Parts: sequence; structure tokens; C-alpha cells
Amino acid sequence: MNLINLRIAWRNIWRNKLRSSVVMMAVTVGLFGGLAASGIMKGMVVDMVKNSLENQVSHIQIHHKDFKANNEVDFLIENSSGIIERIKKNKEVKGVCERTKSYGMASTASKATGIMINGIVPEKEKQVTQIYNKLSDSLGNYFISDKKNRILISEKLAKKLNAKIKSKIIITFQDYNGDLTGGSFKVEGIYKTQNGMFDEQNVFVRKVDLDKLLDMPANSSHEIAILLNDFQKAPEVLSQIKPAIPEYFSEAWYDIEPYLKFTSTLTEFMLLIFMSVILLALGFAIVNTMLMVILERTKELGMIMAIGMNRFKVFKMIMYETTILAIVGGALGILVSVIFTWYFGNVGIDISSVGEGFESMGFGSVMRPVLEFADYIQVIVLVFITGIIASIFPTIRALKMRPAEAIRN
Amino acid sequence: MNIIELKDLHKIYNETEVEVHAVNGVDLTFEKGEFAAIVGPSGSGKTTLLNMLGGLDTPTSGKITINNTDISHLSGSQLIDFRLWNIGFVFQAYNLIPVLTAKENVEFIMHLQGRKKDEREARTNELLTAVGLGDRLNSRPSKLSGGQQQRVAVARALASKPKFVLADEPTANLDSKSTENLLDIMERLNKEENITFIFATHDARVMKKARRVITVEDGKIVSDVRKNGDE
Repeated sequence: MNLINLRIAWRNIWRNKLRSSVVMMAVTVGLFGGLAASGIMKGMVVDMVKNSLENQVSHIQIHHKDFKANNEVDFLIENSSGIIERIKKNKEVKGVCERTKSYGMASTASKATGIMINGIVPEKEKQVTQIYNKLSDSLGNYFISDKKNRILISEKLAKKLNAKIKSKIIITFQDYNGDLTGGSFKVEGIYKTQNGMFDEQNVFVRKVDLDKLLDMPANSSHEIAILLNDFQKAPEVLSQIKPAIPEYFSEAWYDIEPYLKFTSTLTEFMLLIFMSVILLALGFAIVNTMLMVILERTKELGMIMAIGMNRFKVFKMIMYETTILAIVGGALGILVSVIFTWYFGNVGIDISSVGEGFESMGFGSVMRPVLEFADYIQVIVLVFITGIIASIFPTIRALKMRPAEAIRN
Repeated sequence: MNIIELKDLHKIYNETEVEVHAVNGVDLTFEKGEFAAIVGPSGSGKTTLLNMLGGLDTPTSGKITINNTDISHLSGSQLIDFRLWNIGFVFQAYNLIPVLTAKENVEFIMHLQGRKKDEREARTNELLTAVGLGDRLNSRPSKLSGGQQQRVAVARALASKPKFVLADEPTANLDSKSTENLLDIMERLNKEENITFIFATHDARVMKKARRVITVEDGKIVSDVRKNGDE
């Protein structure tokens, strides 16, 4: 391989150390800024998706075909335990649980609000969601007591209802027969997830207590939630479950909450756009530098064209120089970004002082930047493209020179 | 045997405004092994003539034939290729690549020709030794004197094994000793290896060494003197 052009390009870069260093530093800082911001943005979305799946959505859900449209308590899944046993046999399934769900009204002596009542089997629920993990020690327990009519409410709802541990909350709702019914529940635990909207609406009670109040038929539920070992296997597992229980409606997390998938895809796309804009701006800085270089080396370029260097080789020589400028700066920018993402990915950036607004949108109060190998590859490709494109205009300028005039410059 | 033939060569600048006849109806031939100088005052057209001879400029009309190839109608890229394989250049300001060593500067043109490493290295050593710089192979131009740089330029011009070498004011930036030294080297190469040298110069020392002196005035050849007395 003929490396003379590469050698010339590399040495030419260091002819003006200060100027080349400034350009490289601009690329480094620009890329780091872009990657850090993208990493934070992506980390927030990944966190949001993870929290939503672990606390709320899980990976696959099964309902009665009409339940989601109407949320009526009489749209049941019958023989829940039989279905669960069949699903458990799938090797990709990590946990399965059934739930009874009903909209209702929660009220204390001073306040009342609309809620979604989730009737859960605590031990099974532990296999699927992390709600049991969202209670701090000082804020009660996760259904330790065997006593009936215990309830978990969120910190947000507790504030809203002016309730504490051991407070009594009256829950009213419509039963399976359409009659208004209700019960008094004692607060056993107060939880807090990173999704303020979810927290405000959801309470958890034992399924057995709720089923009794709703007058539900035995061995029935409204929802079966499935957690997989790998969320990316959802389409594969779904295609196995669907034909096994065709009478019910099974769907994966990306269909249950399309905004999660959309937000992830949008973030990837935004990262591409964001980095492209930054590199476009840096490309102009490189073009400007290279135009100065061409001007300074008029005689030299005239000479090499006079002695017989063809247009393609001239382009290659200039391209090497611009690409090296972009790549060295880019490599440093990527290195700093890797360190930044690794460090703050572990430690996290606490934004709790301004995090309330974020929480209401489902984002956490600790940001952990996330950048994957593919993201870096994408940026490296963009840096290469920038280097090549940035060399076109200076090359055109160089090739317009008449060698005889350039030499006498 | 003629290796270069110029027939009724014209070069007119600023054709749309004021016409300047830089070269005006030149007929000229060069034989293999000549050591010739084109001389004349500034603005006489000698450099334009040299540029057209070297394929760096195209004539407005007329014909330039080099080794039976009419170069006056070659395209830009054909001319570049033609220069690479047929013509060696020595410029007034040396024009070496400053980031390359003497050895790399000489090798550079052979890289362009795609010659193999062994051949490149052998020829580079041979040429730099021939111009008296065998001990400065790895010096960069900034570490060499003007005379030494111009000798590297001569070695580079010969590296491509050209049909002839064009030297535009090669001694203009050199002191007497360096000029003498450079001219001796070129004269020796001319005599020993039958390499054709054509100079554009107004340096009396070059004219003295040249065996043929062509005088140009106002774009026309006013005299063509060979040192053996023929005109």
C-alpha cells in the first residue's frame, strides 16, 4: 500500500501545530458535547422504558378481547391459573401474574380521587413488577400482614388524600353484577416509582380481597402480565402465546404502550440528526482551515500538479489531511464521551431539585447517560463522511489552480 | 534526431481585451542530448515558451510535438500524465515538499509513477549521490542550503527518467559557488547520460555553460546560436 500521501498529510497537519490543534479541539469539544447530550437524552428514555416495563406494563399482557376498550369488570379471563401454568412452560418467561382491575374512587375524611385498583397476588406480582422494591423502610411493608383489606398507595396519592401508614381509605366501585360496592382498606405501604402519573392513579390490594368485593367468579382475572428474560424476545414469545389462547387478546409492550417504542426510535433518530448538525458545523470549520492551507501551499500544490500528480491523487492528499483532522479530534471526543458515559452511567446525575416535572412525564430524577457501541460506530462513520465532504471544496479550489501560475505565486 | 518540435507557436493572453502576444510564431526544434538556454529580458516570453514546452500551458495556435506526440491537443489529465512520464522540472524556488526528506522528495515522483520500492530506493540513492548529497538523504529542505535544495530538485527531476529536463531560472536564488556546482552537475549528467536540459534564464553563468543559446524578444526568436558556431 502506498502510504506517501498519508505520510505527507500527517506531517502537513503538524506544520502549523496551533491551528491544527485548535481545529481538533473544536471537533473534540463539539463531538463530546453532542455525544454527552445524546447520551443523557438516551439514558433518560432507556430509564423511562425500563421503569415503565418493570413497574407497570411488563413485556406481554393478556386481556379479554373487550376489556381494554371498555374496562368493564365483567370482561374476564377465565381459568387464569390454567393459562398461567401453560405460559410458565415457555423457557423465555421469567414470571407471570394475574390481576383483577377496576376503576374506582378512593376517599379519606378530607379528600377523594379517582383511581385504578390493582388486585394482585403479592408473591406472583414480585416475579413481574418491582413495586415491592419501591417502598422505603420507613413507609410500611409489602403485604406482610395476613390481615385482609390492606392497600399500597403511592407517596403522591398519600399526599393528595392526606393519608399515612395505617390510615383508612374507603374504596368504592362497581361490582361484577353492576352494583355499587366498596370497602375500607388500611394503608400498609407507600411506594414511589419514577412515573408520577402512574403513581397518582394506581393502588394495589390483594386480589383475593378485591375479587370478594367485586363478586368475581373463581379462578378469573382481568389481566395476565408476563415478564421475559429478554424484552427483545417479546415478538417471538407473543407469536407462541397467541395461537395457544386465541380466545383472548395478547399483545407485547410496544403495542400496549406505543409511545415507549416511538420515544426510543425517535431518540435514536434525534441522536443521528443532532450529531449530523454538530458535524456539519465542524465541517465548515475544517473547510475554512483547509482553504487557508490551500492558499498557503499554492506553490507546493502547483509544483506537485506540474510534475504529474493527477486530480484524484490531489483530492486524496487533501482528503487525508481533512479526514485526519476530523478523526483525531473525533477520536478524542469519543474517548472523553466514553469516560463521561461510563462514569455518570454508574454514578448518575441527580436532578431531583428540578426533577418533579420530569417525573410527571415518566422520567427518573437521576439521569444516567447511555451510549451503545452502535451509537459510537454511527458517529465514527459520520466523522469519516464529514472529513471526506469537507475536503471537496478545498480540493476544487486547489484543482482550479494553473500549475504554472501557482508555482510563480 | 529531434525530440521536440515547435511549429508556428502562438500564445495570446487577454484575448477579449488587450491582446498580448507572449509567444509570436515560434518555430524551434531540440535534439536529444542538448544543453540549451532560452534567454531574453523579463517579459520576452521565454517562461511562456518553456511552460508550453512542458505542457503547463496550452498554445493559442501552433503545434508542439514531443517524441512524435502532439501535446497541443491533449486534455488536462492527458497532459498531467504526459508530464509525469516525459518531462522533468527544476524551478527557480526549488519547490521541494517541505515535510519530506531529500530522499522522500526524490522518491515522490516515482510513487506517482507507481514504481516499486526497491527501484525507488536504488534510483534515489544513485541520483542523490550523483548530485553530491549522498550523506543528506534524510535531511528535510529546511536543513539544506539553497544550493543543496536545488540539487535535490535536479535529482527529483531526473528520478522519473524523463525525455528532457526543463529548468526555469534554476540559478536565480543561488550564490556563485552553488550556481557553479549545480551547473557542473547538470553538465556532467548531460554529457555522461545524454540527458537533454533546456533552461529559461537570464543568468550569464548559465548562458556561458549552455552549448546552444536561443534569444527571445517580444515573443519571437531573434537568435539561435550553437557554441560550435552554427546559427
